[in-house]
Amino acid sequence: MIQVDHLYKKFDENTEVLKDINLHISKNEVVSILGPSGTGKSTLLRCLNYLCVPTKGVIRIGDTTVDAEHHKKSDVRALRRHSSMVFQNYNLFKNMTALQNVMEALIQVQKKSKKEAEERAIELLEKVGMADRKDFYPSKLSGGQQQRVGIARALAVSPDVILFDEPTSALDPELVGEVLNTIQKIAEDGATMILVTHEIRFAREVSSRVLFMDEGRIAADGKPEDIISHPQNPRLQQFLKYFAQT
Amino acid sequence: MSNNIFSVSYFLEIFPKVVGKLDVTLYLTLIAMICALILGTILAIIAFYRVPVLYQISRVYIAFMRGTPAAPQLFFFYYGLALISTTITNMSATTAVAIIISLNMGAFMSESIRAALMSVDVGQREAAASLGMNGLQTVIRVILPQAIRVALPPLFNDIINIIKMTSLAFMLGVKDIMGVGRSEAALSLRYFETYAAIMIVYFVVIMIFSFFSKKLEKICNEAY
Ligand SMILES: Nc1ncnc2c1ncn2[C@@H]1O[C@H](COP(=O)(O)OP(=O)(O)OP(=O)(O)O)[C@@H](O)[C@H]1O
Ligand SMILES: [Mg+2]
Repeated sequence: MIQVDHLYKKFDENTEVLKDINLHISKNEVVSILGPSGTGKSTLLRCLNYLCVPTKGVIRIGDTTVDAEHHKKSDVRALRRHSSMVFQNYNLFKNMTALQNVMEALIQVQKKSKKEAEERAIELLEKVGMADRKDFYPSKLSGGQQQRVGIARALAVSPDVILFDEPTSALDPELVGEVLNTIQKIAEDGATMILVTHEIRFAREVSSRVLFMDEGRIAADGKPEDIISHPQNPRLQQFLKYFAQT
Repeated sequence: MSNNIFSVSYFLEIFPKVVGKLDVTLYLTLIAMICALILGTILAIIAFYRVPVLYQISRVYIAFMRGTPAAPQLFFFYYGLALISTTITNMSATTAVAIIISLNMGAFMSESIRAALMSVDVGQREAAASLGMNGLQTVIRVILPQAIRVALPPLFNDIINIIKMTSLAFMLGVKDIMGVGRSEAALSLRYFETYAAIMIVYFVVIMIFSFFSKKLEKICNEAY
């Protein structure tokens, strides 16, 4: 369902951040991406919805294919309709309540009626356990609560795939659990997800597949048991050892 | 009439005359404010999107308008450019003043508006894009509502400056508060009373304006 072919990204002449990424992800897969800081995990995720424009390569999600070398605005918008994103810093719209945040894309992008959008939004807020705070503005919510609203907002557009970029790294430790539980619930509902995370244990539990990225390449790709419990790649072993210490 | 330094009776005589011209000052302020806001918004959007060519031109324009005083701008326009433009020669002094204040304060307002647009973090714009919202929807639904709140205090400040700047209109012979007071003072030689009356009128106008702008800011800040 997601196909990435020969994806390259350069921010400037000397630094190639993504080097020939090839990737196929099927429906219902939950893919975690691990890797050291600065290896291009976020960049890869952001290329998938063109928040970051790749230098070269083809991305297909669902029935939309976009080639970086000649992409049109309309292609990009079509591609974005297949995915949604949960951000490290939540990025909720600050001028809207939790409910309005979830309704926004339903009304503006999917052109649903206000009533229909509201019903759907409340349903999703219930799923993430935020229905009782639906009329709160983001400034009145904790980080964990904001992130759960962010997840509801991403679910609202019925995406083919949800992209999570370190959804818990900005959170206080005591708030991480509630967000991970929410993500797990969504995974169990059968959503297709790509999750960049440093929560190794969670990645092992929740994902059906783990990618290890190193220096702009996918250095290992396999089942969580193989990648996390029995790593072969020396860089991966070193990376996991580092996390085991902390 | 006594010859004291400050004659209360003359003050009571001149005060209503000055107040009587308040309509001219307020009219000038209103027109200049609307035009400056429109110009400021256009310049701010050019800067926000870095529209090629227009952006460079607007930077020079803004630097120039902010870097030169309004009085010579007024004379340059009304007497200087009038030599080469019959439109300006035939223009009323009030219109000329309104134009110069708009051009001048539009440059200031554009900076206030631009800073406010920039204040909405890029993360929210990315979130809107990731949900499939287009640029216009993002601006109207997310950026503007938040930017307005940030822009209000500096814009109110700019508007107070517009009110004060209208007092330059006398230089082109406009009979506003300042203009009428000045000719009265020239006849009576009662400078103390006249300019006290003028300042009091400006002060009251600006205080009333500040009062309502503070109220509005407060309402906006309580929203979320
Ligand atoms: N907008 C940008 N302009 C220039 N360089 C960038 C930009 N974004 C990222 N980079 C560079 O690209 C490299 C990869 O960044 P990326 O954010 O994808 O890493 P990451 O794997 O997500 O790291 P982390 O775990 O710290 O989030 C880094 O060296 C970074 O400095
Ligand atoms: Mg990252």
